[in-house]
Amino acid sequence: MSALGELRHIRGSTRGSPRKRDNRAALVFLLPWFGGLFFITLGPVVASLVLGFTDYNLIQPPEFNGVDNFTRVLSDERLHQALRVTFTYVVVSVPVQLACALGLAMLLDRGMRGMAFYRSAFYLPSLLGSSVAIAVLWRQIFGADGLVNRLLAVVGIEGRGWISDPGTALSTLIVLNVWTFGAPMIIFLAGLRQIPVMYYEAAATDGASRWTQFWRITLPLLSPIIFFNLVLQIIHAFQSFTQAFVVSGGTGGPSDSTLFYTLYLYQRGFNSFDMGYASALAWLLLMIIAAFTAVNFWAAKYWVFYDD
Amino acid sequence: MRRLGAILLATALTAGLAACGGESDAGQELSDKPVTLRFTWWGSDARHQRTQQVIDLFQKEHPNITVKGEFKEWNGYWESLATTVAANDAPDIIQMDELYLASYAERGALLDLGTAAKHLKTADFDANALDTGKVDRKQYALPVGLAAYSIVVNADLLAQYGVPLPDDSAWTWDDLKRIGGEISKASGGKVTGVQSWGFNDAGGLNIWARQAGASLYDEKGNVTIPPAVLANYWTYLADMAKTGVAPPPSVTVERASAGLDQSGTATNASVFGTWWNTQLTSLTAASGKKLQLLKLPGEATAKSPGAYYKPSMFWSISSRSKHPAEAAVFVDFLANNEAAANVLLTDRGVPANNKIRTAITPKLAETDKAAVAYLDTLKVGAAPRVTPNGASNIEAILKRHTEEVLFGRATPEQAAAAFIKELQAEIDGA
Repeated sequence: MSALGELRHIRGSTRGSPRKRDNRAALVFLLPWFGGLFFITLGPVVASLVLGFTDYNLIQPPEFNGVDNFTRVLSDERLHQALRVTFTYVVVSVPVQLACALGLAMLLDRGMRGMAFYRSAFYLPSLLGSSVAIAVLWRQIFGADGLVNRLLAVVGIEGRGWISDPGTALSTLIVLNVWTFGAPMIIFLAGLRQIPVMYYEAAATDGASRWTQFWRITLPLLSPIIFFNLVLQIIHAFQSFTQAFVVSGGTGGPSDSTLFYTLYLYQRGFNSFDMGYASALAWLLLMIIAAFTAVNFWAAKYWVFYDD
Repeated sequence: MRRLGAILLATALTAGLAACGGESDAGQELSDKPVTLRFTWWGSDARHQRTQQVIDLFQKEHPNITVKGEFKEWNGYWESLATTVAANDAPDIIQMDELYLASYAERGALLDLGTAAKHLKTADFDANALDTGKVDRKQYALPVGLAAYSIVVNADLLAQYGVPLPDDSAWTWDDLKRIGGEISKASGGKVTGVQSWGFNDAGGLNIWARQAGASLYDEKGNVTIPPAVLANYWTYLADMAKTGVAPPPSVTVERASAGLDQSGTATNASVFGTWWNTQLTSLTAASGKKLQLLKLPGEATAKSPGAYYKPSMFWSISSRSKHPAEAAVFVDFLANNEAAANVLLTDRGVPANNKIRTAITPKLAETDKAAVAYLDTLKVGAAPRVTPNGASNIEAILKRHTEEVLFGRATPEQAAAAFIKELQAEIDGA
């Protein structure tokens, strides 16, 4: 039985008052979050649902227009472009990011000197990654006179304006997202610690190679953690906004190549005075994310392994 | 759930209607109790400092009125204005742009300044200038300054490459391309003859349409630029990028989003660039070279003059201001007071107020004097129709389709059809 399973076992056997007390403590700790949810988030959420069925230009009162906003989705070519960009971003950046996170977590798990330092160093980008400052920095690094091109020039390759070329602009944002692998890495590290060493010892005694050990022990036992990270990072990637907003100056350009869904939603709402449609788009995004998550949970039955 | 939705919607509607009802009278007597006005504008640091000085002068004259400045960059300005107006929390005095004037006025967010005539005098403005601030024949905005589109040429670089200054009373767009090519060749590509344009600016497109005898919009506010004229515009642009007269597309894109200080003109990387004449001073300060204003190419052979006076910006008052009379007094101070004008000078364009313009001209720097002289000698046609309600985003749409053409993702003809369709849809949807 793994430590995770053990934990579940212990919790399951707890009865009566200690558990209730635990629950009460949990509620107290959650209180600020509930406060935020009820007093700050919930109102706008309900309002946006209502506005999704109206024509609302921010200045005049909203006018009910039925499902017009939702049928408009079908013929909106820029929205389709935004969906293409967002799906590409999610489908490419999340797996690459998780692979990097897992790889580094396994390196760090070996317990080397200065481990705490490395862990913090690799985690740092996660804290900074979605900030405006980093997006501005990214713009500089990948600019025509930026760091990347200077480095390429050293080895004799002529660079280009990475963020100003529609062929490469999205890639720079994918790299930025991959670079923020710290949060899933920390979770992987915790997961790796849970795998009992005796499994590896037994496998080594039987002559299993490192690769087989990884494939047969690490991956299956880590699969609940991988699943958790996958769900979280997919949701996170769908909601990306800041990076594209700053790097493209709010346009989603060049030529709509970095037009994230959220960015397009923002443009409709705040630049085109089209808040009714923007609200409908927000709910559509919610449904898309919910659908992805549901598929994820359904697929989990086939590859996630709970050891208990 | 349906009932809940209906109730919420009804609440939102009544809240909105109630907000519209609370308009007070702009013609009333001034209050002698303490009044606080909020005043918002976009601009550079230099503008913020000058504007604050003017606010201080005003507060000295009207001790019971406090003016709180809220200033931003152009990009964040419009998002923030839209949200404050939506939240019924709009600033009292709003610096307005031609692109957004109709969008706000037609939706009832602005005060008809005609109702504030008692406190706000407009006698020293030309009727033509005043007309630019009218929507449905009501004066929703007062023009602050005037500007005209021009070519800024770097005379020092021109001399360095041994190219004579073109005669701007007769030159054509082909001349610009040819001379620009000579410079790019002479510099070995280090300096391009022409800085790309067509970005972030409806001015160039307006001029191009007008020279071809067309216009961007008709009187009703529908898009009327013929697709062929638009396609020619992009063909010209793409051709310059391809032949090296202008920088390659990705450099152009990067500069377009970077602002004036990093433009080809400001960094002495291009010899000719299209600019509003009033930008000459900032450009000269950034480049450190001798820059001059030239008239636009193609004017001599144009079907009708492309050049026009564009109001650089306007003063507007929120229709929901609680102190419209005091706000009108403040706008009057900004527009008509000589002490205020001596601080502001041409920071917001060459003043549209004739009396003020004459009064400050002797105090101007050389480059500002050149900008005034350019306006005075320019042959202009009637100003184009104010940007229709819903078309405020034209510059973003224009930029995107220009990128499509420059990167070869669309032909000029495809881009022209797509641009017209998209812009018209925005207008129809408003």
